[in-house]
Amino acid sequence: MSLALESRLAAIVGEKRVLARPSELRVYESDGLPGYHHAPRLAVFPATRDEVIDVVRLLAETKTPYVARGAGTGLSGGALANGVVLLGLHRLKRIISIDVENCRAVVEPGVVNANLTAATAPLGLHYAPDPSSQTACTIGGNVSENAGGPHCLKYGVTLNHVIALTVILPGGEIITLGNPDGEDDGIDLLGAFIGSEGCFGVVLDVTVRLVKNPQAIRTLLADFASVDSAARAVSAIIASGIVAAALEMMDAPTIHAVEASIYAAGYPTDAAAILLIELDGPLAGLEEDVARVEKFCLDAGARGVRIATDAADRARLWQGRKKAFGAMGRVSSHLVVQDAVVPRTKLPAILAEIGRIGVARGLTVCNVFHAGDGNLHPNIPYNANDPVESAHVHEAMREVMEACIAAGGTITGEHGVGLDKLPYMASLFTPSTLTAMCTLRTVFDPEQRSNPSKVVPIHSCREWHAAPSARP
Amino acid sequence: MSVTTGSIPCAIPGSPLDLASGGIDACVHCGFCLQACPTYLALEDENDSPRGRIVLMRGLVEGTLATTNEDVHTHIDRCLGCRACETACPSGVPYGHLLEATRATLTAVKPIPFVARAILFAFARRPLMLLFMFGGRLTRALGLSRLLASLPGRLGFAMAMLESTRASITRKRYSPDSSGSRGSVAVLTGCVMEGLFAETNRATERTLSMNDYSLVLAPQQRCCGALHAHAGDAETARTLARANIEAFEAAGADYVAVNAAGCGAMMKEYGQILEHDAGWHERAVSFSARVRDVSELLAEAGPRTGGALPLTVTYDAPCHLLHAQRIATPPLRVLGAIPGLTLVPLNASDQCCGSAGIYNLVEPDVSNRVLAPKLANIALTGAPLVATGNPGCLMQIGAGLQQAGVGVRAVHPIDLLDASYGNL
Repeated sequence: MSLALESRLAAIVGEKRVLARPSELRVYESDGLPGYHHAPRLAVFPATRDEVIDVVRLLAETKTPYVARGAGTGLSGGALANGVVLLGLHRLKRIISIDVENCRAVVEPGVVNANLTAATAPLGLHYAPDPSSQTACTIGGNVSENAGGPHCLKYGVTLNHVIALTVILPGGEIITLGNPDGEDDGIDLLGAFIGSEGCFGVVLDVTVRLVKNPQAIRTLLADFASVDSAARAVSAIIASGIVAAALEMMDAPTIHAVEASIYAAGYPTDAAAILLIELDGPLAGLEEDVARVEKFCLDAGARGVRIATDAADRARLWQGRKKAFGAMGRVSSHLVVQDAVVPRTKLPAILAEIGRIGVARGLTVCNVFHAGDGNLHPNIPYNANDPVESAHVHEAMREVMEACIAAGGTITGEHGVGLDKLPYMASLFTPSTLTAMCTLRTVFDPEQRSNPSKVVPIHSCREWHAAPSARP
Repeated sequence: MSVTTGSIPCAIPGSPLDLASGGIDACVHCGFCLQACPTYLALEDENDSPRGRIVLMRGLVEGTLATTNEDVHTHIDRCLGCRACETACPSGVPYGHLLEATRATLTAVKPIPFVARAILFAFARRPLMLLFMFGGRLTRALGLSRLLASLPGRLGFAMAMLESTRASITRKRYSPDSSGSRGSVAVLTGCVMEGLFAETNRATERTLSMNDYSLVLAPQQRCCGALHAHAGDAETARTLARANIEAFEAAGADYVAVNAAGCGAMMKEYGQILEHDAGWHERAVSFSARVRDVSELLAEAGPRTGGALPLTVTYDAPCHLLHAQRIATPPLRVLGAIPGLTLVPLNASDQCCGSAGIYNLVEPDVSNRVLAPKLANIALTGAPLVATGNPGCLMQIGAGLQQAGVGVRAVHPIDLLDASYGNL
């Protein structure tokens, strides 16, 4: 059976692009969260749209479950193909068209996020959602996860920048969602698809909005002696009505990891927290906003605020922030990267609570996050080969999640539920909401073959309760 | 799906990879290295990426992959060793070190391919190496390399490489004066550099003199051992390292100047390759601390401005200069000291050209796929000269340009500065 499938897939994409030996599948065991790993049954790597279509239709014909994967940089285990077929889309990396007049582009799903911005930069345009992994992650993956990024505070997330999608449904039907020329009539299925974490189908092409590069940019680095005062500065800036392009916080352990790396940005290593604040837009009025933000920081207790001197300085400040999570390999051999959201005003309290949880379990928590929208990323470096420490980490993460939910927040801001956050879904949603999600999924994927057993815990679906014999 | 737990003992205790395996733990699998990797971009398989190869290395250490596994050999062999992943890695994974340790571990199971072994054998023996280089010069002088450069396959490419070593620019003779105030320098004359680029070595000496360094000879010097280390022949690399340390200690200069980026990177790592050799480690560390790329020494001195040289040039960064030695601006300072020279930026100049020592002879197919975008980007600049400070890159890019018949030449930046000084 597997042999037959393997050779039929090879007939579509070529022999070299179907991997079946365990030693070659090994590297596809996990995404960006390697604490979870399991080899796919097969991995197939089409290079063209037609090949993707043929592969998906063959999988439909043979009723084979599969997981679509971009660059494998996701942080929720969402692209883990545990024993099923892994459908890699990173070879579809063509920018199909750039329409300068209408500020939009059509790209294949495997285009790397930063490559799109690089291609449009000479035209004075950029693709606004800028996840920290933007130098590696793909637009297709961004669509699946509804990826965010530091600049989403002002510009919005992936959802706000994708205007149309061509999708092949798991059954093999090709549909268009959204409308590049304006709002679609009827129910917003495009909105439903973006962030569906690979459970609704496979993206064939993406029409994205491009944003004009701002006339001027000012990047501020504010240095605080306490996390609490940094959090208060965040609240003051937001309350003032100034819409920062980005408003990021990093705490001391994170600063130390970054400053030890090749991306050392000159962050103050004796600070308890720093804020990286970017203001952009027309030059008129910008300096006034910069002065006000500077004052909010100083009033909240900042020890100093410095403004990036030039483009190179600004790039350096941002590189440090964006590579921060990767830099934590310096602290320990493994890392859990967490993603949760709380109402912004609850930031000081929740940060204190996270600190308390870490101390109670003897763990180092490194916080690096989008403070402006209350999107936390508590990261815990640890040694996964130490079963006791691993257990502590998992417990601590559960406690952090529960604290965020109790504060009125949620369990993911941008990384998705995937596999990692399945256990928290039932704490956040009622059984009927979860059932509604299952029902929506079956509209796109009636056989539940596309990224099976992710996002919605299967046991929360009514059908599952109705048919106990189907339980694993 | 499983969650990693439990402590795993090393399956290859005492092997070079076991000794280096701590470096594997720094990888958190973030994937930021993927787009920096030329073989991943060319082959589009994570098995041919840094992150993927680290997974394979981990498999060897944990014993879930055997050292005899063919797939492991294939993907480890295919690595260029350009180390562009190191300058992309936030966690500081010592990838180059891990790669060499892995190769040293794997060569115990499967010997290095014949072509590579023959070259390594010759380079480690001075008389053979000199004979080899003499043969090269003879072939070049007789015009055989020009005749055969258009042949398809490895032989044609090797001939094009040889043909590309002819001087790319003309220059006037001059007599440098040196105050010696910046200290004394012994130059690594090298194997290929002295064999096929002797004039660049003389240019190195002249330009250093022009910038107030005094020259000291180190006649006992040998091959730097980089090719051996990269291929997994760690023992020969260590033997050559010890010989060079001795030779340059005897010379007693303040600095060891290197005009071949690959050799410079190796010599700066003698401290590391002799880490477990108690009798030599300290000497190796202090030797490595004195090694400088020639562009570093020149940039330190200014360098002194030359005479007008109205040329349009683009610059390609050798991987072992940019990624291994982390030297980015000194070569640009060298070119900046030349009045009249127009520098056109090269797109993706931080990407490998596919030379990688003798990789282009051992893995010609992948090497060509890595070279293709480099040539395309060079063509986009419109410059008739591409400057790069490493013999492997000079010959790889030179051969590609030669075979493309576009009339563009590769040149060492030091040759340009030397020509500029000739015009003073």
